[in-house]
Amino acid sequence: MVETYTGTQAGDNGGGSILPVLMLGGGVAGGMGGFGMQVYATTISYPLDVGGRPNLSWPSYIPATFELAVLGAMLAGIIGYFVTVRLPRLYDPVDESAAMRDVMKGAHVLVVRSGDRARARQMLSRYEVLGIEEIGP
Amino acid sequence: MTGRIVHPGETPWSMTERVCVTTLRPDAGLWTPLWWWLCLGMALALLAGGVVSVAWLFYAGLGIWGIDWPVAWGFDILNYVWWIAIASGGTFISALFFLLRAPWRTSLNRLAESLTLCAALCAAIFPILHLGRPQFFYWLFPYPNTMGLWAQFRSPLVWDFFAILAYVLCSVLFWYFGLLPDLATLRERAQRRWQRVFYGVLALGFRGSARQWRHYQPVYGVMAALMAPLVVSVHSIVGMDFAGGAATGWHSTQFPPFFVFGAGLSGFAIVLLAVIPLRPALGLQPYITDWHIDVLGRLLLTASLCVAYAYVMDVFSTFYGPDQADRTMFAFRLHGLYAPVYWGTIMLNIVFPQLLWWRGVRMKQPVVWAICLGVLVGMWLERFQIIVSSLARTQLQSAWGQYTPTLWEWSLLAGTIGLFLTAFLLLVRFIPMLAMAEMRAVLEDRP
Repeated sequence: MVETYTGTQAGDNGGGSILPVLMLGGGVAGGMGGFGMQVYATTISYPLDVGGRPNLSWPSYIPATFELAVLGAMLAGIIGYFVTVRLPRLYDPVDESAAMRDVMKGAHVLVVRSGDRARARQMLSRYEVLGIEEIGP
Repeated sequence: MTGRIVHPGETPWSMTERVCVTTLRPDAGLWTPLWWWLCLGMALALLAGGVVSVAWLFYAGLGIWGIDWPVAWGFDILNYVWWIAIASGGTFISALFFLLRAPWRTSLNRLAESLTLCAALCAAIFPILHLGRPQFFYWLFPYPNTMGLWAQFRSPLVWDFFAILAYVLCSVLFWYFGLLPDLATLRERAQRRWQRVFYGVLALGFRGSARQWRHYQPVYGVMAALMAPLVVSVHSIVGMDFAGGAATGWHSTQFPPFFVFGAGLSGFAIVLLAVIPLRPALGLQPYITDWHIDVLGRLLLTASLCVAYAYVMDVFSTFYGPDQADRTMFAFRLHGLYAPVYWGTIMLNIVFPQLLWWRGVRMKQPVVWAICLGVLVGMWLERFQIIVSSLARTQLQSAWGQYTPTLWEWSLLAGTIGLFLTAFLLLVRFIPMLAMAEMRAVLEDRP
């Protein structure tokens, strides 16, 4: 398995992240849940006659609906991100490499996870890499 | 363009090194600077006063404040609105100008968002204290209860509860998500064990892999796109807290945009107020250049003009409108007991910021700083005149009254300033005040 490590987003992001769609879903769920809760509270659970005004006074539900939609989308985004990239992961074998210390300063590191050391080394040596480091047992 | 937003000669390596040294202080010679301890000492002194004030409030009750009939909303609501408006600056800069692809926001967003968090924390305290029985604050939540009661969803005050809840939570998430790569940077650079553990746990294992970056940018972009309308909605709803009431001077459809303008003005003012001294103190001049101060000065001027428009509309709609009580109240505002508050608002929010039309003034940082301090005082006075002079002159002449804040209200205000400064100083010391990962992209894109 090959993975690159960089200190910032390199160029275009390779396309296709599902997470914005997930955030849309979270927003819709938050908004519909919020609106539904208010409809249920004011018409079924606790109807309150104020001067004969309608119980289903939907325009006044919009602000809380909007706030809960935003909150739902934000939570979906951050939870979805951590699930998608499999975080938190406090220890990873790549942490043993000294080169990884410089990734967040602007260095570029290519990690090859392979059972076959010789083949991985041979593959890397075909490119002009600045250095090769072997870690792990 | 990049020549103006970052000094030539800066590289991702030098930038990372500089910011990490300020935060991590790796050598024994690099003590936390004296100014930081002095400021923290002052902040803690103010905070201690606030703690005493809150303790006495919990013991003795709301009677220790000057609020009474007819002015039942006093310092607590005033300070809540003031702080939440101050909080807006970070969100405007980091979310709105991210969407506008403004290149200058990159070096300001961390600082501005940190100010947002601290100010929102202070704002959130006041409504809970004003409840009178703060231990029952959770009654604001719609939750299943034995009496089958629900919150009144038609009330702007309940909308406000949802707005503040969403705003505080979303601001924390947005700030933390933007911080992840920088926490990872600190974890790699840290030399002391507690630092490696502290930043390592907070970074949650972010390592900058292609997979982590690929999903990072889209999520951050959508978050910014959500935060921008969220901050507008929060201040609109704060405006509706007032517009929804039938009190003189409040019942106006212009209040939601009026409060958004006011939020922008105080938000940009607090960012300038913090940036001007912190730039040399943290050695950030190569990344926060004079040009940034210039841009923020222009934004402050723009916000001031928006607020001026709202003030003019306030006068116009009062005297063009049919309500005699509104006109009586406004005359009281102009030359009654609280007239200095009104004219102070006009001077500090509208007149003095006009100096920023001149580039020479925008380049003089002590003058800009003084104008910003004036704006923050002016915004506080504006809330005083909106809340107090309206409530003091209700429709019914027999119900007129006045309001004098007590020592406990002043000490509580001072206490939240102490809380704000304490929280902000801790963030300045332990969190990088420059978004390093985003700055790397700016520096690498340079031709």
